[in-house]
Amino acid sequence: MTDLAPISPFDASPSAVARIARRAPVDWTGIAFLTGLAVVILLPLVVTAVWAFAEVWRFPAIVPQRMGLGYWQETLSRHDVWQALWLSLSITTTVTVISAAICFPAAYAFARLDFPGRNMLFLAFLSVQAFPKFGLIIATATIFLTLHLIGTFWGVVLIQLVGTLLYMIWIPVSAFQGVDRRLEEAARDVGASPMRVFWSITLPQALPTLFAAILITFVNTFYETDAAWLIGLPNVRTMPMVMISFINNALEVQYGAVLFVFLWVPSFLLMLAARRVMGADAFAKGFGG
Amino acid sequence: MIAALRSGAMGGRLSGLLLVALPVALLIWLVLWPVLQAMVGTVYFPGTGFSIASYTYFFTDAYSLRNLWLTLWVTALTSVLRVVVAMPIALYLRFRTGSIAALVQALALFPMFVPSVLVAYAFIRVLGPNGIVDTVLVALHLPKLMSPYLTPAGPIIGLVWDGLPLTLLLLLSGLGRVSIASVDAARDLGAGSWTLFTRIILPRIQSSIIVTLAFNVLGLFSAFTLPFLLGPASPEMMGPYMQRTFSDNADPLNATTQAVITFAFCAAFGLIYVRAIAKGRKGTA
Repeated sequence: MTDLAPISPFDASPSAVARIARRAPVDWTGIAFLTGLAVVILLPLVVTAVWAFAEVWRFPAIVPQRMGLGYWQETLSRHDVWQALWLSLSITTTVTVISAAICFPAAYAFARLDFPGRNMLFLAFLSVQAFPKFGLIIATATIFLTLHLIGTFWGVVLIQLVGTLLYMIWIPVSAFQGVDRRLEEAARDVGASPMRVFWSITLPQALPTLFAAILITFVNTFYETDAAWLIGLPNVRTMPMVMISFINNALEVQYGAVLFVFLWVPSFLLMLAARRVMGADAFAKGFGG
Repeated sequence: MIAALRSGAMGGRLSGLLLVALPVALLIWLVLWPVLQAMVGTVYFPGTGFSIASYTYFFTDAYSLRNLWLTLWVTALTSVLRVVVAMPIALYLRFRTGSIAALVQALALFPMFVPSVLVAYAFIRVLGPNGIVDTVLVALHLPKLMSPYLTPAGPIIGLVWDGLPLTLLLLLSGLGRVSIASVDAARDLGAGSWTLFTRIILPRIQSSIIVTLAFNVLGLFSAFTLPFLLGPASPEMMGPYMQRTFSDNADPLNATTQAVITFAFCAAFGLIYVRAIAKGRKGTA
């Protein structure tokens, strides 16, 4: 999965609504783009979804000869699928919890406190993105080799944790910066302790964005492939690894398709929820826009 | 720790440093230290001294050079293709509003929600041998497709698809700096669409295009999953090559050497990208 969006794809701007009301001429360019994108973007996903429900689909028939849920039962009764699913969920949960525990306090400090080296340390997190990713994973793997972390649960957790640092710090920083200072000062004026102000004023305002950051981290970590592959295999087989073995070994086309639908739909809904609660431009700065 | 804030600036400084200590330590341990270790560890060997043998090997080995060359041209072509495909959509979205524009944006950003493993799978079902494109061609009594699966075109198509949303967003944020008034003014003076694009819009978004290309190059140069699943086995791109050297050949020295070489090729792009973002932060902070 590519990274995150500064602009929610599912928000129509208010001015857009105003334009429609004025009955603009038919937007032929838009219709052309729409048709092109529908074929290129949606068709592959629809075809795969159909495969998941096709019991028999022999070339060159345009539609499957027989539809049904037979392969769902077969795929979801596979031992390796469930094993990988639990492993992936426990790795992903561990990474997300640790990441939130160490990154959110740091984000608060970057947003609100003044300390030596603040700007430099903040920008240092960009260095994760300044190197070609797989090269970086290889360099880290060489270190893990001497620490005997290759092929272990904690090796995968550590390498995936590094991958979450940038977003789990940069997104919450903008959340903490966005909190209304006047409310905090007002609470202080009527005698609230700094701790009380943090729990009752600051945190509730930042919470939706923190929540969105957690959701995005969870989904992205679940599907992380490059690091899990190099560091995890052969002992630690996460869900994407099972997917890849279905692609490469071509057991049955449907196994992969069923997993595709089974895994993608919940993650898509989670991402959609994240986009909903998050401010439209929360990420805009992060990509040099 | 937050209570410490009250005890004045000194307390704030200390608690600030304490709060950021863990992520910073992790960053140093698992990013900066490995990079340093990779650079030093491939040229200096305790006991035997300096040697650049692994680099000499890479740059004299025909297979390594073919992989590097493949990576270079696939990266260059894919970066340019992403911008070429995203630019018309970005221009359309900048100067149009309405429900159709909102839908176009939603569709173009959709690949962001599809993990690359799933992209690879869907790609094979559509463009692979006997995929849906072949099915349609046969139904129309046309010859089958020369499938891009397992050729360099495979990862290129997959990577353009996968990278479209971010490229589009970066271009859109650049186009945000082009005022509609200036475009209208030029149009009133009789400028055609092409003149408008090359004379008015392009100069204003030049820096955005450079940042977009830099960002793309960084992501593409060591791309792994899509080239591994959709690309040819030989020659292979640097991502799969490094993985094979490290895991299958159990040769961390040469794998690290390859990694340092990818760092070197991407250094300029990394610098451009980081500088642009650092500048952006200063502007808004």
